Amino acid sequence: MRAIFLLVATGLLAIVAPILAPHDPTTQFADKAYAPPTRIHLRDATGFRAPFFYKQTLVNRLAREYADDTSAPISLRWFSGGRVATSGDSTEPVLLLGADALGRDVFSRLVSGARWSLGVTALGVLGALLVGILVGGLAGTAGGRVDSMLMGASNWLLAMPGAYLVLVLRGALPLVLTTGETFALISILFTVATWPHVARGVRGIVAAERAREYAEAARASGAGLWRLMSQLLPAARGFLAVETVLLVPALLVAEATVSYLSLGFPDASASWGTLLQDVNVRVMSEAPWMLAPAAGIFAATLIAQAAGARVPQRA
Amino acid sequence: MIGLVAGFTYYWLKRPAAPADTATGSPSTPVAGGRLTVTYRSEPKTFNRLVSPQLAEELVSRLTQATLLRMNRATGELGPGLAREWTSSPDGLTWTLKLQDGVTYSDGTPFTSADVVFTFQALFDPKVKSAMASSLMIEGKPLQVRALDASTVVVVLPAPYGPGLSMLDSVPILPRHKLAAALEAGTFAEAWGTTTPPADVVGLGPFVIQEYVPGQRLVFARNTKFWRKDEAGRTLPYLDAIELQFVADQNAEVVRLQAGQTDMMSKEVRFEDLAALQDLQKKGKVLLYEAGTTIAPDMLWLNLDPSAAVAKTRPWLQREELRHAISAAVDRRAVVNTIFLGEATELAGPITAGHKGWFLPDLKPPSGGAEKAKELLASIGLKDRNGDGLVDDAQGKTAKFALLTQKGHTVRERSAALVKEQMRKVGLEIDVVPLEPRFMIEAWSKGEYDAIYYAIESDSLDPARNPEFWLSSGSFHFWNPGQKTPSTTWEGKIDELTRKHSASMNADERRRLFAEAQRVFAEHEPVIYFAAPKVILATSARVHGATPSVFAPHLLWNAERLFIK
Amino acid sequence: MTNSLSVFVLRRLLGALIFVVVVSTSALVLIRLAPGDATTDMKMSVADPAAIAAARSRLGLDRPIWAQAASWIGGLARFDLGTSSHYGRPVSGLVVERVGNTAILGGLALVMATLIGIPCGVVSGSRGGAGARVIAAASILLVAAPPMLLALALLYLAVTTGVLSVEPGSLLLPLLALALPMGAVIERLQSRATADTVHTPAFVAAAARGIPRARVVWLHSLRASLQPVLGVYGIIIAALFSGSVAVEAITSWPGLGRLMLDGLLSRDVFLVAGCALAGSFLVAIGNLTADVLRAFIDPRIREAA
Repeated sequence: MRAIFLLVATGLLAIVAPILAPHDPTTQFADKAYAPPTRIHLRDATGFRAPFFYKQTLVNRLAREYADDTSAPISLRWFSGGRVATSGDSTEPVLLLGADALGRDVFSRLVSGARWSLGVTALGVLGALLVGILVGGLAGTAGGRVDSMLMGASNWLLAMPGAYLVLVLRGALPLVLTTGETFALISILFTVATWPHVARGVRGIVAAERAREYAEAARASGAGLWRLMSQLLPAARGFLAVETVLLVPALLVAEATVSYLSLGFPDASASWGTLLQDVNVRVMSEAPWMLAPAAGIFAATLIAQAAGARVPQRA
Repeated sequence: MIGLVAGFTYYWLKRPAAPADTATGSPSTPVAGGRLTVTYRSEPKTFNRLVSPQLAEELVSRLTQATLLRMNRATGELGPGLAREWTSSPDGLTWTLKLQDGVTYSDGTPFTSADVVFTFQALFDPKVKSAMASSLMIEGKPLQVRALDASTVVVVLPAPYGPGLSMLDSVPILPRHKLAAALEAGTFAEAWGTTTPPADVVGLGPFVIQEYVPGQRLVFARNTKFWRKDEAGRTLPYLDAIELQFVADQNAEVVRLQAGQTDMMSKEVRFEDLAALQDLQKKGKVLLYEAGTTIAPDMLWLNLDPSAAVAKTRPWLQREELRHAISAAVDRRAVVNTIFLGEATELAGPITAGHKGWFLPDLKPPSGGAEKAKELLASIGLKDRNGDGLVDDAQGKTAKFALLTQKGHTVRERSAALVKEQMRKVGLEIDVVPLEPRFMIEAWSKGEYDAIYYAIESDSLDPARNPEFWLSSGSFHFWNPGQKTPSTTWEGKIDELTRKHSASMNADERRRLFAEAQRVFAEHEPVIYFAAPKVILATSARVHGATPSVFAPHLLWNAERLFIK
Repeated sequence: MTNSLSVFVLRRLLGALIFVVVVSTSALVLIRLAPGDATTDMKMSVADPAAIAAARSRLGLDRPIWAQAASWIGGLARFDLGTSSHYGRPVSGLVVERVGNTAILGGLALVMATLIGIPCGVVSGSRGGAGARVIAAASILLVAAPPMLLALALLYLAVTTGVLSVEPGSLLLPLLALALPMGAVIERLQSRATADTVHTPAFVAAAARGIPRARVVWLHSLRASLQPVLGVYGIIIAALFSGSVAVEAITSWPGLGRLMLDGLLSRDVFLVAGCALAGSFLVAIGNLTADVLRAFIDPRIREAA
């Protein structure tokens, strides 16, 4: 049950995320390159007031030094322009997680990138579940030649490191794709790379169920392949729940890997992996907020783990 | 006693200044010895310079080979190389070059005019298909090179040529005794590949290849038979060895330089690293040099080929007004500040302050900003017809085009993203597509692209040395290469001016003609330029004798003068 | 070795061989099918169509795919992997150099993960107390930190505290990034196996007989967990390879992943096939070793194979 909730939540977050962004992820604010996160204040000299921040001014361009201009407080504006919160002054951004090299708001990019990362993950897991259930269920129910053929194919794919498989397949396709094409393609590639994990587990459980009395009875009374399969599959529920909880973070990391290696989402529609491309040794020491996408993936994985609460049985 | 002390004190005070510590010498006195480590990002695919023009091959050639004449890459002046003096006929077409005496190749074989003749023979041999051949032709005809005797060579230019003999600076004089057989057999193009034993790569340059470990390092050792000496008569080079270490990216290079593990980087300093390196310079660990303004600024051009598909499907893409709109809308100050952190100047055309006497300081980029840009777009039928904030063509379709750029090149990717964002304010939608250079070049050579953001290296300040860009028939006339006849009147005008200034021998006349060509170019803006960054180079503090240049290899072009202290 | 074991090993070896050949040949075919090819960068320097055509035929790109694949398989027998179009050198040299690096990284990571994971798991599974809780908490965090993220985190730590070396080519950082998450997975498995053993009658009986608790714990739980842990090795090895691609990119470790990526992007047919060969070879060897160990320990496995 928690697993379904996790999957649905992932999908919903993906859709809803953009309204949480204070700014457009592509807007480049002048003279804000690598500006540090804005501090939100609740009180000033006159006491408490609605959340506000100070305008950041550039002190040294080469050294990326900024200072708060305490003479220019700017309030936040709530629920306007399709956003939960944004800056009261459209030329001075509220940079919750600082800005990147082009002066774009990192928090907005993070939240908008969630759309792609979480979306591709949710679709990939869904696809893997569907294909895995189908193949594993068929193999376990039918047995014999069908079983060995399907499981043979499954084992082959299983033996290969997922990242290599996805990279080679992705690399063999046209290198330049639109965002929509990339989204569809990556979801499909993820499904292709992960269904064997699901299939193998399902097949094992279904095959074991198949040997039980009630299944024999159903078979004897003339139940067809599909009917039989539908009766055996519910036994795999527990396994599927565990698999879902495992696959969500695994695919999230896979997306990050593919995009980090420039074979995923482009900069114009940056996913979390794409955002991590900007991180290098110098950026890390001078602008550590650029590591936010990594923290996001880590947090998502922890949450998924909490939903699952334990490492799976050997599949 | 007092007298003795007084005398002694007097002597002590008046003693001659202590000679500088022999271990270090004064900063300007070269010391022999030492191994220079340089990080480099690409590996040569061959040691045969005639076959490949890439930067790695050029560097190897500069270090191991010598040329007839040598251009001082800091001042631009042409000086003696293997030719010690040269005179011309009255018409300026026939040049007689006297070669240096007593010069031998690194394996001891004497150097003669036969090697010069052989080199040019190989260069122009149709089976070799040398990448260099076209840059040594004037009006499509090759130079004639023949030997008068063992130490004299005659070079005949097929037509009057403004730049004169400066092209000889790029031709390495190869050893006939090593490569004649390959030329005979027709296998010259494959000769001297990277698996060639280092001892076979014989040359007249200051260094020889000592060791090549692919993927790791390429080590050069002093050529003990090098013929050049410094002003004091000492043999060059000073260095014992140069080690090129191959690293994957510039981050790795900077990390190593900062840690004091290497002496030099392959390219200019990135501006995001500049603050940290300036700190190190204050601590005396690093030396920074400003070589000038780049002569290879980034450019944005559109596909103006009338036979390309876009001419029919999106004719507005080829209109001049579009280019002026882009040029007016993009805030060049933002490019200078955001991309180059303030270390650049706004640019209106291909010629920058780095081109010295050829530069026109009064040529300014178009003004008018977003308002002007919107007007220009409207004048070619691009208006926002459906209120979505983006301009549409006459059929109501959103007007957009794809801008290809070099994947992995941070400056170009960011610049393209900035241009995209600036044009969004005007309502014009641009898709930025980063591609590996090989695929971008393929799309360009097939004419299957809308626009490209790129730059190429240049090896000369003289515009007559770059006819492939200026002439409409040129292969690097990026927006519409290889035209049989100029497709526009203004390109015809530039062709005419280019031919005139290439053939003129009068420096002032040449400058005047080229200035006019620049103005015609700026009027029609087939290529849009935004900013020209400074070229800043860094070495470790122990490297001396370096003369920075805006040309690659920026500090290794006169490697024989470098010394370590 | 007994007869059934040797038969098992031989069958597995044959399977591994077929696996390696099929995987690498499919990689070759895939790249030939991909749009674009290796001669595209020649157009800038040599604009002559005849020269480009000559290069294409030199690289074998004008032959039909099946012919090239067939001759490549033939070349395998002679250990001739062709010439890389991107580097201009024989592929075998390039691949051997890089696969060694990846093998070192992966192998050491596996060893390190085992050496950390198993003892920690025994400790955390056999008793309560602060120590066990700390281990469990660390494991949970590390399991959630895939190698790619851990590499970034370690790099950040190295840069800000100067503790680790950031030098491209230093082994420690990528090693930790790969070993720690895997070690945590092993620890979790071992912990549960140990916790289970602690409650079995055999264990209680042994304890009642007066055998020191520690010895019983270690001996029994190790033996009991061997099968599950070895069984998971196959997945761990595959995960190590997947993780190493990103880790190599982040820490500039000169491994196979980077080489393959270069080959993919430059459509270097032979390089990609060579990398696929080497990669699948390593995976097959790893799996084979784990399977043989399991079969050696448990004869039932040999029959089921």
